[in-house]
Amino acid sequence: MQIEIEMITQPIQPRRELPAALAGLAGAVAEFTGIVRAEENGRPVAALEYEAYAPMAEREMRRIIEAVGREHPCLAVRVIHRVGVIPVGEAAIYVAAFAPHRAEAFAMLTKFMDRLKQDVPIWKVRAIEQP
Amino acid sequence: MRILFFGHLRDVTRCARMEVHFDESADADAVWRKLIESHPALARFHGCVRLARNCEYAGADARFADADEVALIPPVSGG
Repeated sequence: MQIEIEMITQPIQPRRELPAALAGLAGAVAEFTGIVRAEENGRPVAALEYEAYAPMAEREMRRIIEAVGREHPCLAVRVIHRVGVIPVGEAAIYVAAFAPHRAEAFAMLTKFMDRLKQDVPIWKVRAIEQP
Repeated sequence: MRILFFGHLRDVTRCARMEVHFDESADADAVWRKLIESHPALARFHGCVRLARNCEYAGADARFADADEVALIPPVSGG
């Protein structure tokens, strides 16, 4: 399974192209985009600031993908997580899972996101209020 | 040993990192004792903050050496 993980501070550009070495093998690509909402803990916000312990976050994401992949084999998984200040309506995370069939790709997305929210050291550290 | 603080813990300690020294390897309780000695306000986070050693969550029986990088990981909220 090919794993690509990026942590960036710029807006996320979703990339659904299959890694070249896997051309012709995937029958499904499932994508998830997590978007910053206009409300945080009941209060209106204009943006959220995210912080990561980057080396550990990347390592944990890889570990989770490998663990989920043993149960739901995929061909490739691409994760892009943005940190820094992210305005409402923009993506905080993008995940693409490539698999021969849709069941594995859907399962990878769901389980990866569930475990990310338990274990990956990334935090919303500040809500920036609307002016 | 380098200690890293993230999220609201940095506001508690007013620093992103600190150095502590152990003559011998230490268990998690010893690390916490040293941290609380320096920053008493950390005591109330002991129950909800996990320790990571060199970018991996430390198990209950982990030993921490002077050369380790130890991060305090408050509940996460990524994604």
